Amino acid sequence: MEITEGVPPVINLTEVAEREKEEFEKKVSELIIEFGAENLLACMQCGACASICPLARVGFEWYNKKLIKAILIGMKEELLDDPTPWACVACNRCTEICPRQVAPFEVMFAMRRLMVEEFAIPTLAIEGLRSLYEHGHAVYMTGREARKKVGLPENPPSTDSDEKALQDLRTILKNTKLAELGLIPME
Amino acid sequence: MISETVKEEKKLKFGLFLGCNISFNRPDVEQAMRKIFPALGVEIDDLVGQSCCPTWGTVPSIDIVGWCAVAARNLALGEEKGIDLMTACNSCYGSLNEARHKMLKNPEIMSKVNEILAKIGKKYEGKAKCRHVAWVLYKDVGLEKIKESIKYSLDGITVAVQPGCHFLWPSEVYPDKEKDPFNPKVLRELCEALGAEAPYYTKLIDCCGMGALRSTDPEKSFILVREKLECIKEEIDADLIVTTCSSCLIQLDDAQEKLRKEGKINFSIPVLHYVQLLAICMGFDPQQVAGICVTPRDEVIKMILEGGKR
Ligand code: SF4
Ligand code: SF4
Repeated sequence: MEITEGVPPVINLTEVAEREKEEFEKKVSELIIEFGAENLLACMQCGACASICPLARVGFEWYNKKLIKAILIGMKEELLDDPTPWACVACNRCTEICPRQVAPFEVMFAMRRLMVEEFAIPTLAIEGLRSLYEHGHAVYMTGREARKKVGLPENPPSTDSDEKALQDLRTILKNTKLAELGLIPME
Repeated sequence: MISETVKEEKKLKFGLFLGCNISFNRPDVEQAMRKIFPALGVEIDDLVGQSCCPTWGTVPSIDIVGWCAVAARNLALGEEKGIDLMTACNSCYGSLNEARHKMLKNPEIMSKVNEILAKIGKKYEGKAKCRHVAWVLYKDVGLEKIKESIKYSLDGITVAVQPGCHFLWPSEVYPDKEKDPFNPKVLRELCEALGAEAPYYTKLIDCCGMGALRSTDPEKSFILVREKLECIKEEIDADLIVTTCSSCLIQLDDAQEKLRKEGKINFSIPVLHYVQLLAICMGFDPQQVAGICVTPRDEVIKMILEGGKR
């Protein structure tokens, strides 16, 4: 019987989708591994990390366990606009409790690093970097009333009062990825 | 002839790593350390030229080698002098020790870092680490010496302890570890050494909501700090909150005032860093060692100086 005559060759869409998804998935998870989450693939989605994460507690969307799942199934674009990784307090409760040594904190921070590559970086983070480069302190205040009030010299013994040390720190920063990415002016 | 059994007591000396928040926001914590440590026989080196640790939202969010390089320059300042660093900021403690752990675990990172450091004529071998002041007090100085050093005790005073996240986790990277990092005892014992009651409360190890969480979403951050404060009030009705972290100190002190103004809480609990509390008990001027706060401390300080006099 010739029932397929005139019908274009069948493309197995499921198969194509699977293949493309696999490639894409590989890309995101590989990047996350490359950016520091070496044990990403060991996750068994047990949820221990989520049970203890302050971000999950207060209702952030992509907390540790869920973010790992999203990365493993190859999501990326949906994740780039989300602030969750930037809210991670780096407390490492998750790292301590994970039975598979995944270190979910590393996944959160690898996600930050991936977002930085895509320039999805919060303004506050840029300001911190700029301040670090300019003063050697991410948190910096020009007002010194507090120091004077408690009887301390106006300048702490840091890059704030040591020009050579500040130049050294700038040289270091100029030789890191921060300079490659051109996120802040580094004259 | 001098007996051979007489050994000279090993002189304790550390590089005082300040970090940004203590330097600019809470220099009374710095002043407290500058008072208590020499009085307890611990020599302080200023670690001239130190910088931001680097904190989490900066280089650690960009790449690992850069993070380690900035941390290594700070650690090298101690290593050059053959001393460890010590800090009263949990974030600095976490960032510096995690970076060191990465460098020790991964020789490739270590060698890349040293390539960068070579450009400024420095190197880091992984020897110097960063100690936490609370651990230095607990282990190196010791509870007995602390007890002997105080002029005022905290008899009858109940404190709520807040060790803070980076005092505890990930325990793998820290030079000193609690027996059970989910049931910390060190800060409780340090407070008890001053005569205080330091009972357990359900949210003792919960996050204060400071740092990245607060800068990303203050409303969500306030949920955590409010729950914590309410738990402290309801379960143990503490006279005072004592922390070993400068970030927790700022959050619990500062956010508490905001919650009061918004009518979300109707009580006030003063907050001190442990080094400040110890400095007050040792008789140093409260204006210098605990002079900066949002939630008033006068009453509890008065209570300590009047009620607890030995
Ligand atoms: S605790 Fe570890 S294994 Fe379990 S879900 Fe979290 S990362 Fe995966
Ligand atoms: S390190 Fe980040 S992801 Fe892990 S428990 Fe803490 S806030 Fe959550």
